[in-house]
Amino acid sequence: MTTPQATASANQPARGATASEDTASTGKVATPLFAAPRKAVIVGGNRIPFARSGGAYAHSSNQDMLTAALDGLVARFGLADEEIGEVAAGAVLKHSRDFNLTREAVLGSALSATTPAYDLQQACATGMEAVIGLSNKIKLGQIDSAIAGGVDSASDAPIAVSEGLRAILLDLNRAKTMGQKVKIISRIRPKDLSPDAPSTGEPRTGLSMGEHQALTTAQWNITRQAQDELALASHKNLAAAYDHHFFDDLITPFRGLNRDSNMRADSSLEKLAKLKPAFGKSLGDAATMTAGNSTPLTDGASTVLLASEEWAAARDLPILADVLDGEAAAVDFVHGKDGLLMAPAFAVPRLLARNGLTLADIDYFEIHEAFAGTVLSTLAAWEDEEFGQTRLGLDGAFGSIDRAKLNVNGSSLAAGHPFAATGGRLVASLAKMLHERGPVDGRPARGLISVCAAGGQGVVAILEGR
Amino acid sequence: MSEPTLLSEMPSLSKLYVNAAAMAAKGKVLRSEPVVALPSRAVEVRGVRADLAKVTEFAHLMGEPARDLLPSGYLHALAFPVAMTVMVQDDFPLPLLGMIHLRNQVEHVAPVLFTDELSVRAWARDLAGHRSGTQVQLVAEIHNVDGTQLLWRGVSTYLAKGVFLPGLDKPTLDRPTAAAERVDFVPPVPTAQWQLGVDTGRAYAAVSGDFNPIHLSVLTAKALGLRRSIAHGMYAASRVLATVPQSKPHSFNWDISFDSPMFLPATVSLEVLDHRTSDGVWLSSEFTAWNARSARKYFSGTVTAA
Repeated sequence: MTTPQATASANQPARGATASEDTASTGKVATPLFAAPRKAVIVGGNRIPFARSGGAYAHSSNQDMLTAALDGLVARFGLADEEIGEVAAGAVLKHSRDFNLTREAVLGSALSATTPAYDLQQACATGMEAVIGLSNKIKLGQIDSAIAGGVDSASDAPIAVSEGLRAILLDLNRAKTMGQKVKIISRIRPKDLSPDAPSTGEPRTGLSMGEHQALTTAQWNITRQAQDELALASHKNLAAAYDHHFFDDLITPFRGLNRDSNMRADSSLEKLAKLKPAFGKSLGDAATMTAGNSTPLTDGASTVLLASEEWAAARDLPILADVLDGEAAAVDFVHGKDGLLMAPAFAVPRLLARNGLTLADIDYFEIHEAFAGTVLSTLAAWEDEEFGQTRLGLDGAFGSIDRAKLNVNGSSLAAGHPFAATGGRLVASLAKMLHERGPVDGRPARGLISVCAAGGQGVVAILEGR
Repeated sequence: MSEPTLLSEMPSLSKLYVNAAAMAAKGKVLRSEPVVALPSRAVEVRGVRADLAKVTEFAHLMGEPARDLLPSGYLHALAFPVAMTVMVQDDFPLPLLGMIHLRNQVEHVAPVLFTDELSVRAWARDLAGHRSGTQVQLVAEIHNVDGTQLLWRGVSTYLAKGVFLPGLDKPTLDRPTAAAERVDFVPPVPTAQWQLGVDTGRAYAAVSGDFNPIHLSVLTAKALGLRRSIAHGMYAASRVLATVPQSKPHSFNWDISFDSPMFLPATVSLEVLDHRTSDGVWLSSEFTAWNARSARKYFSGTVTAA
């Protein structure tokens, strides 16, 4: 068993002063006051193949891709002219003109124009939060049907004018006389003309997500080999899933792409081993994260059709799975107390506890592969006695999982990760897997989804197969 | 009809416009006897494919998401060089440059994917008198590559203003005059308004390839006798189509008639009325557009489920 190196770097002070303070985040397992009035079910999903940025979707906007994913869902389930209860989706990298991105996509789709929609954004957990929030509305009886989705384009990213130029332009807009205007324009300097592009850096630390994960990966002593093996498994599993036609009713081709363009079915440990470290280079020999065991910037969109059982039955639509429950968590990553992407390590124990379940009760694990190191660090934390005792408030380690149940149809390392679209990919795929699996020991097959997100956040959920 | 003239590749519109200009000059000098019949041959190009980058720009300019399916207006742009080839043939009786677009009737028979290999054929028909000149119809058809399935068919009516050819029927004047129609038009409450900048023609030219000088700039438009540049009629049609309910089936018809040119810049008021079944299934849309200031009608038409 690995003991986390609490002093892996100057940025990683010894963890928390007192056990009580440390476990505060897991001590509060919220419990519902009453059982949900009814169930929220997953009818199915549709996404477009994910494309490496600058590839097949280089000139496609978020709206193009979200509409394409929506068009395919409408076609698959015969939703033309249907008024859906609500559509929620979002994008992490979003142009300010796209403030109503989801509603605009609905208006551009074959859905009834009287379908309400809203945008939401919780970084890489956007799609998960859309599914959970809409499921809750269905459970409460506020709506009978919903579409959750997400989209992201790293290719068509918004680029803003510099802060200096922005201030000048706003002042110019407020100026009344020509004299004032000339004076304001004369403030423009060459440096003001350089544009401001989005980055994946954390505003409070200045570290990119990869650099953050590199610290966490080193903290949990995750080896290069273990990360490369996970990446290889992701590619092999995804390729096998395509070969078995698993995605035939989950994906609609777009722009000539039929499969996720990042997938390398012929990848090998030898090839992965040759790659140079891309993150955490300051760690020297402890630098283990490469382009091969990290997700690339990706473009894509996904959607999931959610409903009450009655709504699905009335339209003779399939029911793949129930959305049982969801949970969000956040960690204090700013001063290194926990790794940036470690929030799911806290969210999952709380979620399972609330539902009276343990890791052993889960048949499929979908742990989003932001980086191979993220998955392995999370698993290492769960297997760590000290972490279980001091951070999760348990008697010992939270537990370990059967790796044969992990990301069995591949995950983000192979498919790519268009930030807000990953949740929808995971939910639709897992729902189908659970449905195909059928009952396990007389109970519904259970799946757990875990997604980490920027800002030290994580959103996790349990699905049960039908 | 005799066998079509097969072109080996899609003709270049810019070259066609240069040819048209050359012909216009030549016609003025050399054509002592006017031609009063249309060329009997169709022109055809096989193995045509859409340019995905242009399709994307086209859709974005119209404010609609770029899909794998080609917008109906884009198909017009795709077929246009073939239709124009018909009009620059030596024996075509009317001068191409300066012709006015009166009407477009389109049957969008089946969805067309950007990956589809197509064959495009065009010919001219119905040379006829008009109260202010001579009109002609250009028919363009898009088939699948082996020509077995019609996918799209457009009939464009053009007017050569001030060109009166001998032997054509004099236009009947039982229709109300344009001026009378203008008086009769009472603008309805608009459902939308377009602000068309002076670059509207250039922007559409860039995505459609239609660099007709009357659309590009004040100077080039003046050279052809217009006081300012005007927006492409097909730009207007494509923008309307982008706003019509997307639940429209993949098979639909549309028809647009142009009443007056949209001199740029322009503020265009637009009314679109949708007709649906009691279940909310879209049947058709009617549209009318007019100058927001002068209330002069620009164009009107319908989109109908086939």
